[in-house]
Amino acid sequence: MMMKLRVQLHCKNLHEYLRELSPEILDRLFNHPATCLAVYRELPDLAKNYVMRMLFLEQPLPQAAVALWVKKDSQKDHDECVSVLAGLRLWHIQQLQGGLQGYILNPVFKDNLRIALLGGGKAWADEGSSLGPDRHARDIESLDRYAMERWEVILHFMVGSPSAAVSQDLAQLLVQAGLMKSESGEAPYITSAGFQFLLLDTASQLWYFTLQYLKTAQSRGMELVEILSFLFQLSFSTLGRDYSVEGMSESLLTFLQHLREFGLVFQRKRKSRRYYPTRLAITLAAGVTTNSSSSSSSSSSSSSNMGSTPGTGDAGFIVVETNYRIYAYTSSELQIALVALFSEMLYRFPNVVVAQVTRESVQQAIANGITAQQIIHFLRTRAHPVMLRQTPVLPSTITDQIRLWELERDRLQFTEGVLYNQFLSQADFEVLRDRAQGLDCLVWQDVAHRTMVVTPQGHSEVKRFWKRQKSHT
Amino acid sequence: MASEDEINLLVVVVDVNPIWWGQQAQREPEFTLSKCLDAVMVMGNSHMAMNRTNKLAVIASHCQDSQFLYPSKSWRGGDGGEDASSSGDGKYELLSVANNLIAEEMRNIMSKTEVRGNSTDTLLAGSLAKALCYIHRVSKDMEVGREIKSRILVIKAAEDCALQYMNFMNVIFAAQKQNILIDACVLDSESGLLQQACDITGGLYLKIPKKIALAQYLLWVFLPDSDQRSQLLLPPPVHVDYRAACFCHRNLIEIGYVCSVCLSIFCNFSPICTTCETVFKIPLPHMVKAKKKKLKTST
Repeated sequence: MMMKLRVQLHCKNLHEYLRELSPEILDRLFNHPATCLAVYRELPDLAKNYVMRMLFLEQPLPQAAVALWVKKDSQKDHDECVSVLAGLRLWHIQQLQGGLQGYILNPVFKDNLRIALLGGGKAWADEGSSLGPDRHARDIESLDRYAMERWEVILHFMVGSPSAAVSQDLAQLLVQAGLMKSESGEAPYITSAGFQFLLLDTASQLWYFTLQYLKTAQSRGMELVEILSFLFQLSFSTLGRDYSVEGMSESLLTFLQHLREFGLVFQRKRKSRRYYPTRLAITLAAGVTTNSSSSSSSSSSSSSNMGSTPGTGDAGFIVVETNYRIYAYTSSELQIALVALFSEMLYRFPNVVVAQVTRESVQQAIANGITAQQIIHFLRTRAHPVMLRQTPVLPSTITDQIRLWELERDRLQFTEGVLYNQFLSQADFEVLRDRAQGLDCLVWQDVAHRTMVVTPQGHSEVKRFWKRQKSHT
Repeated sequence: MASEDEINLLVVVVDVNPIWWGQQAQREPEFTLSKCLDAVMVMGNSHMAMNRTNKLAVIASHCQDSQFLYPSKSWRGGDGGEDASSSGDGKYELLSVANNLIAEEMRNIMSKTEVRGNSTDTLLAGSLAKALCYIHRVSKDMEVGREIKSRILVIKAAEDCALQYMNFMNVIFAAQKQNILIDACVLDSESGLLQQACDITGGLYLKIPKKIALAQYLLWVFLPDSDQRSQLLLPPPVHVDYRAACFCHRNLIEIGYVCSVCLSIFCNFSPICTTCETVFKIPLPHMVKAKKKKLKTST
């Protein structure tokens, strides 16, 4: 039996990421208003309201009172919020006078969220205005262009365009992230996870990439809390404004140089005293919530999320027709290469390419590790404005067919189990089989050959039963 | 999270009637207009902080006109270049820009106003209409495939003005048609018009018992959007004062005369409808008799 497990590119959202951090790191993270605001935005909607209600309270609230905030039929949402807030250490339980249990917000978090909302604290960073006006000031348009260029260079590098060159650090990071593989000094080449990565929208790509970066940050001798705070601070900055590098630590400056290479910030020269955050940096936090598309299959509602943010370059250009033809209005080599990942190219014009989705081409893509869901998501997020106007955005024949083509490869289902065979008598077999059936752990049986398969969970119980049975007889 | 897709627009209409606020300052010096605006800003900031896609607009409703406090005409979104007024105190930049703008516009309005004539009523219907127009414009500007959910929050100080009844009702029904909630936070005296507005559009009406705690009321009751309201326990709906204002004297009446053609309301009978000029051919029988009798006795 050939067993090929497909590696799904799983992209965590911020919440999942934070939950894995140790409590000490979490507590230190809340020391910065920007992180508090970012974490706050990630909470479920109901939990956001809870935080707001308690933000200006100094005493703990009795648990019973908090439980009365919601209607009875939303009790489940309430429980979820309570556990999320406790899980992120945003509130904790405190004993009230009279022995009742009460909730109180994490004081550090509370203070910093208040500062983020209302001010009254220290400035996030030294002001850019202290530098005076920039003689080489950048407008938003050129920043957008710059950011897109930088980011596309990375993507180009991944698909192996000869013109794209990235720094050693970045290439290494791509390898560490499992998006590329390199063997004994040869030029790295793209992996199946890399293909899946290419099909994500820019915001999700960025977030995935950042997560990978953070994972390796500590091994580079960087302070995780410091760079996370800076990252969030960046995502709350204003587009088109310059900020000063004054007061940044050495490791933060290295981080800034990396960000510069990704296109998240613009710095005219390496030694420049000021930097401009680009739209990529500002939409970074947006990718945090919309990234789940790579793993979830219910992303149909996120039809036009941040993927179509103006300036991030992948605004809609693809038209899909019910005859399996794709018209991609783009001249970008990269985008054409992406479309070609799962389709057959037919014609090519200066501003448009025509391609056909066929069974072979989709099967080929799936063999490369791309899932049908990712193809569909790619088409949907890059859909032309004309397509966006119709519901569903993509013709359902196409989406269904792509899924069916994927299912063709998925005819085997794997279940772990323990095999029982070589029974001496039919009666022995039947006794044990009936027992396993009664325990609801029988996976499969073959009466003629006296073999049966039991789930691993049921194995010990069945085994014990069999031993008892044998000692009786 | 699907909620990232849709834009949540909150338009706050603040009653800044100078006469009412002047009297208020004498009655309760601890709760003034600036305190009220502070509370509004806290509410606005919290709204904008909740989600990246949340949008805010603030309209001041004055005696003679209503003006946008935020976003104002002079401010071009995005490039806060020339007024590098960013916070030095750790506040989220977007919020501090908004707050500075609101405060500045408010100062402009207050220094400019000259109370002409003796119209002391707040032009609330006009402000609401402005809010609706703004919402309409924002939703028109939206990219295809994006949804916008809007609501209006009225912070009402001065008394109701029956003169605006017609305009008010038109605004309410327009809002209802556009699926826009109207919430009302009433500081002083109950407002029948706003009760109707909230009831019809499905919003919340609350007369706050303690003015000084305005910010807390706003955060608790009015911050959650309609999705979250379905989960939360909120103050129960009030008894709605459905009295209409008559078209002739603008009095609030419970029983009156209604034109059978155009449904105009009058507090006393007239043979010709003043709105659609319909002549009522069959006068009420006993009234005719009464007149005849009167005529006879006099002759």
